[in-house]
Order: sequence, then structure tokens, then C-alpha cells
Amino acid sequence: MLSRVAESLFWMSRYFERAENTARFLDVNFNLLLDLNKIAHIENPSYWVALILVTSDKERFNSLYDEYSARTVTDYLVFNKNNPNSITSCIGLARENARSIIESISSEMWEQVNNLYHYLQSVTPQFVQNDPYGFYKEIKNASHLFQGITDNTFSHNEGWDFIQIAKYLERTDNIARLIDVKYHMLLSEAQSQPELVAGSEDIIQWMAVLKSCSALEAFRKVYLSKIDPDNILRFLILDRTFPRSINFSVCAAEDALWRISGSSRHRYVNNADRLIGKLEAELSYTAIEDIFSKGLHHYLEDLEQRLVKVGEQVHLTYFAYHTPEIESSDIEEALPFTGIAGGRANWSQAQQHQQQQ
Amino acid sequence: MIRFFERYEAETSQFFDEVISKEGSPRPHYDKMLHRFSQFSVDDIKARREIVNIFFRNQGITFTVYGEEEGVERLFPFDLIPRVVPAHEWQTIEEGLTQRITALNAFLHDIYHGQKILKDKVIPAELILGSQHFRREFVGVNPPLGIYIHVTGSDIIRDGEGNYLVLEDNLRTPSGVSYMLQNRQAMKRAFPVLFDKYKIRPIENYPQELLRTLQEIGPVSRRDPNVVVLTPGIYNSAYFEHSFLARQMGVELTEGKDLVVNNNKVYTRTTRGLERVDVIYRRVDDAFLDPLVFRPDSKLGVAGLVNAYRKGNVTLANAIGCGVADDKVIYSFVPAIIKYYLGEDPILQNVPTWLASNPADLKYILANLDSLVVKAANESGGYGMLIGPESTIEQQENFAEMIVANPRNYIAQPTISLSRHPSFFNDTELFGCHIDLRPYVLYGKTVTIVPGGLTRVALKRGSLVVNSSQGGGSKDTWVVDE
Repeated sequence: MLSRVAESLFWMSRYFERAENTARFLDVNFNLLLDLNKIAHIENPSYWVALILVTSDKERFNSLYDEYSARTVTDYLVFNKNNPNSITSCIGLARENARSIIESISSEMWEQVNNLYHYLQSVTPQFVQNDPYGFYKEIKNASHLFQGITDNTFSHNEGWDFIQIAKYLERTDNIARLIDVKYHMLLSEAQSQPELVAGSEDIIQWMAVLKSCSALEAFRKVYLSKIDPDNILRFLILDRTFPRSINFSVCAAEDALWRISGSSRHRYVNNADRLIGKLEAELSYTAIEDIFSKGLHHYLEDLEQRLVKVGEQVHLTYFAYHTPEIESSDIEEALPFTGIAGGRANWSQAQQHQQQQ
Repeated sequence: MIRFFERYEAETSQFFDEVISKEGSPRPHYDKMLHRFSQFSVDDIKARREIVNIFFRNQGITFTVYGEEEGVERLFPFDLIPRVVPAHEWQTIEEGLTQRITALNAFLHDIYHGQKILKDKVIPAELILGSQHFRREFVGVNPPLGIYIHVTGSDIIRDGEGNYLVLEDNLRTPSGVSYMLQNRQAMKRAFPVLFDKYKIRPIENYPQELLRTLQEIGPVSRRDPNVVVLTPGIYNSAYFEHSFLARQMGVELTEGKDLVVNNNKVYTRTTRGLERVDVIYRRVDDAFLDPLVFRPDSKLGVAGLVNAYRKGNVTLANAIGCGVADDKVIYSFVPAIIKYYLGEDPILQNVPTWLASNPADLKYILANLDSLVVKAANESGGYGMLIGPESTIEQQENFAEMIVANPRNYIAQPTISLSRHPSFFNDTELFGCHIDLRPYVLYGKTVTIVPGGLTRVALKRGSLVVNSSQGGGSKDTWVVDE
């Protein structure tokens, strides 16, 4: 498979997953605020700040808006084209990547990306405000439909595996961020209002975290209704069967990487396999107490760093393929680590406009 | 015959109408179509329009308009009324194009070898050797089977009497064949009943024929050649077509950065290392193919490609340097070229052409700018053109200056009133639109022309320009057995 095609499959998948996760964060936040309004007077801004923290975009956000509110945060995360992680930007980039490999994916996959893209072009802020539930549901369903179409119309070979790697790396990263932000919120509140930490608001917040991973029902089946932070973290980080847990997602990414390279347990053939294998092995033998003793925030931060490293190695191993003796120095320039993101999209646009007869 | 065609004004005193004869009656091969359309209401047409639009949008069949804001994609305008070409007329086109392409290929081979035709003074040598598309570096290079022009798309028009004339030979990177194929799919969806009433020759095998042609011209030493399509990239206006053809042929679509040359052999970069490439169907202009030989700033090409090609390790379709034969000046010599190499009279005529490089012609051109069409020799896509009757005095003076400054670069032709075909306006009424026809010719071991082509239509009322970049659209083209 062409390295460029593999890379575009990877980024198409990754941006799609990112859009879905953003929709999940927003959806849950709306619900959360509706619930919390009933039991306490909530300072809304702190909840909206949390969503910006999830995406590590505080600086860019502050350069564009003066306040944290439902309106500004929704605009930033759903519509803003200056935010490369907004839902509109992500789907636009997923579509650009898909378009650049339209001959490699199934036409059903293309139609689905394209449909969602056109749907987003037609949506107004007013529409989202009136029916946030309906809108986010549409995004989530579109993503699920895309995954289902991919699984059922696209050969499960190397290309499909790249799609899986991207999806699960992105998902792992998002779950980690979500938990981390919740931790931050609780911490800051605990400092200012210690009595709230164990209160009902806390439980509602933790339920919101579960909900944003579609994990509440699955969690209850395992832990019944005993909603306490330890169990929730155990579930979201270490459960091996729930598809939106960190452990599950890392295992799935590992499987896909190993299928591509032919690696197996105890024997890796490249650094991407080695790093993901190490991560998976550690997760398998970690207890939640180990994480606490290391410090949750510290643990998650470390995890995010390691995911970045895995991504870098996937890039070097498969996308930046070159033989040193014939390649000049410009390979890094030609293939930045972003698929079709802003940088690469424009570099030769003018020349591509050559006339066709 | 009610509604649409009843209200249609063919204006046959001024134009050759494809559907209605001079006597005012429908031509026999349009009988069934008129009958079928007489059963449709405006709502029926709108419903079918919707089917077609959804089909095109879902397929991502859009083109990009240059000069507008980045990323502006439009649906390619499509007219619902198909054009019908009866079998006996098609036969003339087929034979005429085969003859023409065979002769042009012989001409290219000669130009890049002995240059006999120049020594015999059939064509002034300076016209060839001074052409910006003449590639001196390829004199003496032998492409497999001696073929240069593997894929061509000649533009054919009909004059006031209905004669088929060749307007342009597009020998470099003709586009539009994907629209030909997709238009057919769209029509099948929207008009299955009408479709069933005609014996329409199929065109769906074009991608297989293209692949077969490309495999036939692979380097002699390579069995089962690996074919790839080379595109400038997703921002090219014809990108959809490049990816469509790659997908239909089941071959890789590559960009310049996917390819690498090592030891005069071409490879693709894959997730598993390098893979040898034997034939490149390139939709990139000569000038961008290889930064070491042509434009050094090209980001679309592959360093070393030209040497690999010269060594015979890879075949390019079309060959480098074909542009010398589809120059609008050389066009005027094609009848002489056919006579010279084949000893035959041309089956399809040219449009009369005056060359500004010829002093007598130049005088005539300058005196008649208000009635002629003037074209720059090396432009395509409807750019660099003056349509005399529609131009202002200022534009004419402007062109006069450019022509005098660089006569080699200009030709002039009479304003031909292209034939017209009824087309929908707002789905509510029909009006006559000027059309042309672009059949696609494949040249491997044999010459193959799938029966049909892209009928381009000037959907702006009264406009003569059919190029998609200038607001033109297209219709499905049916070659029917009577």
C-alpha cells in the first residue's frame, strides 16, 4: 500500500474519531448543566472551561473569545474554522484525506464522509442551540455509521488496520484527557469548597464522565449502582472488554499494529510495535492503586506522551518510508505529522492548478 | 409531441439543430425520445433532476473553479436530454478519428526521428523546431510499439450543414472521460424506460480498454507491467477523474511524492518498501514531470523520471513531447499530414484556419477581427480566445497588438455556428444550446474508440464556449443502432 494512502487512511479515521469525541464532550456537558442547575447554583463558566481544557486549546480560545459560555464554547468546538479541532474542521479534514484517496476507500465510505460534511455545512448555531441533543446524536451516529460501513465494505487488510490504529490511538487519548480534566475540576473545587467533593454533585459529574464514553450502562452491569471514583477509574482505564476504555483501545491498536507487521508477543519488529506492546503489557498488570500511588494526573500525562511517541513511530515506520541512499533531505518537509492538515494542503496547490485539456 | 418540444424553437434557418430538421420535423433517431418526453410534466423532470443531482453529489463529481475562493466545488452542470448519434454517422467519426490519430502518431514518430516531413518541406521546419512543445531531448527515443499518443480526446463540432469537423486534437492530457461514464450512469438511473427503448452501444468498458492499452505499451522487458496513474493532486480541477480512472482500473493513484527513481528505475513508496512501476498514465504536463529536466521548481514530478523513461525502463502515456502535434498552428497542417503519411484524403475535415505567422493570412486576420475567432496556439480550456462577433473594439485592438507581437502564437478561424441541441432551462422549458463532441481514442496495439464521448454544451444562452471552466455543461451521448 502506498505510504501516502496509508497515512491518509490514518488521518481520515483519526479526525473522524476526534469529531465524535468532541460531540460527546459537548453533549454530556449540556446534560450535566441541566442536572446540576437543580441542586446547586453552578458557576457555568467553570464547566465550559473544562471543555476547552480537554482539547488543550486554552490559548487559542482566549485569543478568539472574551468569555467561557455555552455560546462561545459551542461555537469554538463545533463551528470555528480557526480551531483545527472543531467538529467542522475535523470533518473537513477527514473529508480532504478521504478525497485524496477516494479510489482506495469504498464509495460507501466516501458517501458517508461527504454526507456528514454537507450536513455540517447546512447546520447553524441556532439549530444547535435549539436541539443540542439532536445535533450531537447526529454526529455520533454519523461516526458509528462510518465505522460500520468501513467494517462492512472495506477489506480487512492493511488499510483497515491503519484505520483501526488511528481510531484507537485517538480514542485512548480522548479518554485520558477527559478523565484528567474531571480530576482538575474536582481538585480546584475541593480547594475552594471542600464540602462538595463527596457530595451529590460529584457523583453527577462522574456519571457525566461515564456517559460521555457511553459507559454508564456497561459500568452498572459490572459495579451495579456503586458509583464511586475508584470503580469508575478502574472501569475507564483498566477494563479489557469495554470499547471505550483505555485498556481495550490500547489492545485494539496493538492488534492492528501487529497484524500489519507480523509482530507477536515477545517479538517485535519495529519501534511502534515495541512501544504499544510495552504500554499494553503495563496496563494489563496495573491495579488502580498503582495509578493512585503514582498520581492520577501524572499517570495520564505520561500516558498521553507515550501515545504521541507511538504515533511518531507509526509515522516513521510506515508513512515516511524512504531509502536513505536515494532520498534527499526534504522528506520531513514533504510529510509533516498531520496528514492533510493546513500545512501540507497548500504546499503545491498553485502548481496543481495546471490546465487540463 | 406536447409540452416541452412543442414550445421548443429550433431556429433552423440560422442553426443546424440536432433534433429538428430544416423542414421542422424531428429527425428519425429522436422519435422515441420526443415521444417519451411528451409524457413528462415539469414535476417529472424536476424529480429526475433530483435523482441526477444526488447521484453526482454522492459520487463527489464536482470540479473546482480557479480564480474563485479556495475550495469552491461545483456540480458539473448536466443536461437531462441525451444526444443521439445514429450508427452510420458514428462510423464516419470512428473511421475519421482512427485515420487522423494514426497519421498524427506517424508524424510524431517522424518528428522525433528522421524529420522527413520537414526535409520534404510539407511543414516549415521552423514551426516545429520553434514550438515550445518540441522536446529536443527526445529525438531518437523509441517508445514501445512506436506509439506516442495513447490517449486522445478530439473535439468535434458540426457546422451549419451538419458536417462533422475536427476542431482540436487534444494529444497531451485530455480530460472528461469520467463525465462520459458517469453521465451514462446518471441517465440509466433517471430514465430507465427511455434507455430501454434504444439500442445504445455500451461505453462501460472504457476503463478496461484503457488498462489493456496501458499494459500493451509497457517496457518490452517487463511481463505483467505495473500501471499507475500520476495526478498533480487533489487541488487539480480534474482530480476526480484521475482517482475515478485509477479506481475503475484497479491501479494505484500516485502523486509525484509517491514515486522515487533509483538507478533509472521508477518505484512507488509503500508501507512495505519500494515497488517497481512500469507504466505511468500521467495527467501532469511535460513541464512538471521532472524537476531535473524541466521546471526545477516543480513539486509535482519525480526527479530522474525522464532518464528512466529515456532508458526504456518506464513508459509514459502519453509520451513526452506530444504537444508539438496538437498545437493549433500544426492543426492546420493535419490534412497534409494525413496525405503525407497515409496517402489518403481526410475523412473528417478541419475548420478553415488562418495562420498569423503567414503574412498574407495575418493581413486577412487583422482586417477581419470582428468576424473571426482568434486563438492562442498553446492555450486550452477556452482561455486566450477572442470571439470576434462578441468582442468589443478595445478587445480587438488588444488582440491585434498581441498577434503582431507574436504571430507564431496565433491562429484564426471563421466563427462557426456550432450545431444546437435542445437543453433544459430551469427544468421548465427547452432552448437550443451549442454543443460539441469529444470521443476518446485509445492507441495501443490497435486503435480503440468506445462508441460515444462527452457532449459538451454551452448552457449559457447563446454562448459558444462549451468548456466547463467557462460555464459549460454536458449531456450523455448515445450511439444507437437503428
